[in-house]
Amino acid sequence: MTAEARTRERTRRDVAAPAVLGAIVAGATAYVALVDPNSPGHYLTCPLLLLTGLECPGCGALRATHDLAHLDLAGAWSMNPLWVVLAPTLVLMWGWWMARAWTGRPVRPLPVPVAWVGLGVLVVFGVLRNVPALSGWLGPAA
Amino acid sequence: MTQPPGPDGSPERPGPHRAEDQPPQGQPPQDQPPHGQAYPQGYPASDAAGVPPYAAAPPGYGYAPTPYPRNDLAVWSLVLGIASYVLSCGLFTGIPAVIVGYKARGAVQAGEANNGGMATAGIILGWVAIGLSVAAVVLLVLFVPAFLYTVGSTIPDQP
Repeated sequence: MTAEARTRERTRRDVAAPAVLGAIVAGATAYVALVDPNSPGHYLTCPLLLLTGLECPGCGALRATHDLAHLDLAGAWSMNPLWVVLAPTLVLMWGWWMARAWTGRPVRPLPVPVAWVGLGVLVVFGVLRNVPALSGWLGPAA
Repeated sequence: MTQPPGPDGSPERPGPHRAEDQPPQGQPPQDQPPHGQAYPQGYPASDAAGVPPYAAAPPGYGYAPTPYPRNDLAVWSLVLGIASYVLSCGLFTGIPAVIVGYKARGAVQAGEANNGGMATAGIILGWVAIGLSVAAVVLLVLFVPAFLYTVGSTIPDQP
């Protein structure tokens, strides 16, 4: 098999995963951009928030996505600052994955320290945004 | 053949520190038999043959090569599994936890990883989180229709 044919075969097989994931995420983002989460009646409510009033690290991410899709960075930041940092990073990482899969080169997950540091950031963010003094900065805007 | 005692009297052991024994053997001490000279020649050959995984390790991120290059998959599965409980909506990290966990298991079977237990933990955490999320959606839809459409209006007033 020629190198060209090998690359073509790899391209078909490996591109499927990032392509499908990208299509799903793009569709979901388009839906969120069109249907405003700020107005009640379109999305499920979060059980944790409803039952306990606690804001998990993802609270406000849906509204932040809506604001990001409308390029309202300030509004998105007031909803979930961590998500405003994380969402474009994830998009860039997906782009890298897609590019590597297209050219048939292997791609590895991020190094292990990133995983544990990321989990720590998530937990600390989740705790801090529920502290009353910081909830104005880190929590979703009312 | 028994190991001759080293220059400081401690028993000789094959190991990296043997390289430090080389200079003293320029003048072998009284209790070093002549076959001590054979060790320097014999050691490098056995070194190269004794640790093939290091020679065969693929180039990585610049880390030192390890015999288990795909251990990172199971760690990511576990971290994503834990994160699906930190977040109240476990679906978004639970599904990747399960997918990566199964890939980690495949890597263990291929001999590229040795943390199958961690992979299993990530898979279990992921499935349970997915199950809880689905159950929460079902319960919300079936039993609490009054609570369904309240996003945006249930945020407690911030002080």
